[in-house]
Amino acid sequence: MLLEIKHITKSFGGLKAVNGLDLSIDAGQILGLIGPNGAGKSTVFNCVTGVYPPTSGNILFKGEVITGTKPWNICRKKIARTFQLVKPFGMKTVLYNVMVGAFALSPSPRHARDRALQVLEMLHLDDRKDVLAKNLTIADRKRLELARALATKPELLLLDEVMAGLRPTEVEEMIGIIRRIRESGVTVFVIEHIIKAIMALSDRIVVINFGEKIAEGTPVEVSRDDKVIKAYLGSDYVAA
Amino acid sequence: MTLYLQSILNGVLMGSVYGLTALGLTLIFGVMKVINFAHGSILMVGMYATYWVLVVTGLHPYAALVIVVPLLFVFGYLLQDIVIKPVFKAERDVREPITVIIVTTGVWYVLDNLALMIFGAEYRVLTTSITGKSFILGDFIFNKPKLYGFITAMATTLILYWLLRYTKIGKAIRATSLDRDAASLMGISQYKIYNIAFGLCAATAGIAGCVLVPFYYVFPTVGVVFDIKGFIIVVLGGLGSMSGAMIGGIIIGLIESVFAQFMTATWTEAIIYLVFLLILFIKPSGLFGTKQDW
Amino acid sequence: MKLRENKNIFHVGFLGMALLVAFLLPLVVTSPTNLQIIILIYFYAYLTTSWNLVGGFAGVLPLGHSAFVGIGAYTSTMLYIHYGLSPWIGMFAGGIVAAVAGIIIGYPTLKMRGAYFALATIAFAEGLRVVVENINNIGPLVVNGPRGLLIPLLGNNFLHFQFLGKEPYYYIILIMLLIVLAITYAISRLRIGYYLAAGGEEPEAAQSLGVNVARYKLIATAMSAFLTALAGTFYAQFMLYFYPKGILGLDLSFEIAFIALIGGRGTIAGPVLGALVLRPINEFTRIYLSGTLPGLHLVIFGLVLILVMIYQPRGLQEPLSRLYRWLLLRLAGPSPKS
Repeated sequence: MLLEIKHITKSFGGLKAVNGLDLSIDAGQILGLIGPNGAGKSTVFNCVTGVYPPTSGNILFKGEVITGTKPWNICRKKIARTFQLVKPFGMKTVLYNVMVGAFALSPSPRHARDRALQVLEMLHLDDRKDVLAKNLTIADRKRLELARALATKPELLLLDEVMAGLRPTEVEEMIGIIRRIRESGVTVFVIEHIIKAIMALSDRIVVINFGEKIAEGTPVEVSRDDKVIKAYLGSDYVAA
Repeated sequence: MTLYLQSILNGVLMGSVYGLTALGLTLIFGVMKVINFAHGSILMVGMYATYWVLVVTGLHPYAALVIVVPLLFVFGYLLQDIVIKPVFKAERDVREPITVIIVTTGVWYVLDNLALMIFGAEYRVLTTSITGKSFILGDFIFNKPKLYGFITAMATTLILYWLLRYTKIGKAIRATSLDRDAASLMGISQYKIYNIAFGLCAATAGIAGCVLVPFYYVFPTVGVVFDIKGFIIVVLGGLGSMSGAMIGGIIIGLIESVFAQFMTATWTEAIIYLVFLLILFIKPSGLFGTKQDW
Repeated sequence: MKLRENKNIFHVGFLGMALLVAFLLPLVVTSPTNLQIIILIYFYAYLTTSWNLVGGFAGVLPLGHSAFVGIGAYTSTMLYIHYGLSPWIGMFAGGIVAAVAGIIIGYPTLKMRGAYFALATIAFAEGLRVVVENINNIGPLVVNGPRGLLIPLLGNNFLHFQFLGKEPYYYIILIMLLIVLAITYAISRLRIGYYLAAGGEEPEAAQSLGVNVARYKLIATAMSAFLTALAGTFYAQFMLYFYPKGILGLDLSFEIAFIALIGGRGTIAGPVLGALVLRPINEFTRIYLSGTLPGLHLVIFGLVLILVMIYQPRGLQEPLSRLYRWLLLRLAGPSPKS
């Protein structure tokens, strides 16, 4: 198992955003995390990437305990992430943005530049490398976010609703990109709302609601699970 | 013993006046989430306005309130509308509205030096009907201007509190400060609210001016002293909290007054800065402030 | 690409010429008063460029940098007066003290929001000033409170960092300025520059990309403090006198910040441009108008700041560098279409 989330709970004041969650991802997998809004999905990501530590429980990466490790050290351990609300360095060019990520591999500006160009090419953003990030379309910004994270050469990539706001054709493109990323050897942990996309991409899916796991399995298994249908659509649909 | 009690009394009285000067600052932060670096200069304007009204009309200092407060309200309203609004608008989406801070610092400079140009650098003193007079109660001396100041400070705080809580405008202001986008969706014009809030802030500075003129020197850079003290008070009491500003002001007044028994005035200044830095490091949200994301 | 090579050649050419003019200027400008004005322009350009490392690159608003100037001036002067230590060495001692102070004050404050950080820097600088004004001596070292320190006039003495004429000072500050510009340029091209920019703009994202934002901000602060303090020593040796209100005062802190902001923070040319434009205005309004209208130059200063922030928040360097690039393009010749 590449990533092991062992019974983590995260409380904010009196609110339990995540409650006793167990989850694991094997190397080379694409694991999807879905659940209604407010289910706690981003909280899980934030705990894994060190934005804040879980209130209790442990997180292991390649057998090593990483609970509470700071975000910049998480990156060193080869875990990268994107944000639900993209955070590009708006006043800088696309290339500059990705270079920031690439510097994680080597302090040399030349190497960082080469790595950045490599990643940009892979994501078909290289023709816009000198455009200021703030002038990009939302689809391109999402790709930039992805490129930046990829530039750090992660083994595990956490994607937080990377397709939100994209049009259907753009979603298709993104699915293809993520597949290519997995083929290049990166394990992917995806949060997504667009059901079609996550069904198409994931090897396994975990469904959470109110911070707790309510179902787990292959996409087909999960789509038939009563509890999942109830959580998303309400009890009226369970009979089907 | 009486000496210490007297100094505590003086500290509370003067402290309440400090709190009064800081009320506007905390109000603006609560509404606009901006620290107005020009606040001291607006206070200075209030003081000069009071000074000239009194010199020209010879009225009782507190009567001047009738003229000074509306005048300052308009001044604040226009200042916000003309100078600060454009920058604020431009920085809507930026994480940190630093440019607004810079602009208010610029306003500080402009106002202080305009005052220098127009009125000259001399320290002016006005002897009013209450200057230097005191009440004596038992062993204690109540300095009249400061006592009136204390009463005015409390009254102003209560009036502002009532205004914000129970009037339509007040509720609109509070709505905007909680969530400006939601408020504007409710039909509350965000920028009009800011103008009004700023006007209120300037109006309280006008009140503070009236309170101060009977016993404080009036000179172009008088605002700087109150500006910095105002920041300290407001951080101490918690940004956005009016009761915090009052209590913070009284604490500062007490420190000044009590420590002055043991050391020179300039050292008490240093102590206040030290207290400020300690608060910033230990509990930046202050005594009554809400926890902000740091 | 031929166009790009051409542009680079012209760019380098311009810079070379500017450098040449700068080095030869004292041969043309011989009046000591004018030379002094230019020296002070370079002095402010140096200060604002150093400030820029924190205020521009790290993305926060330090409004108390005079503290570092003062630390530099006082450290080297106190060591010189009491121990006879050459100010050249004392300069670096001052730099180190300032760097340490910067780290101490930076550690808790750099996590704060913009306004709080600005307030903290003001409190630090003013607190320092008040304390210095209250102290007469620290042990055997004379501080002299509000009266400030006087450096005994020795005439031409290199070891004691004193010269009779203004020319040596001119070259010293010019070289210091060039060094600081080179450092800034180097940083902007190296990883530290990228990390600082990223951390200043989107700290959360930067952290997820491996940037320990707090640590880099501290590094920038320490460097800025060190370099700023060096200028403090220069000032002390140039003027041979300084006092707390001046060298540790809010006026100096604000002037440094304002010039950098008007020029354009976060850029290399911005602070220098700001100094080149604003200092002469400052000097001339002060010399010619302060008799009749005291404070006018500061009113103008404040108004310029407000106007620039409203219309060109990235500073004057933005339109100016656009102009420059257009000029370069014209000179380098248009590229043939298609």
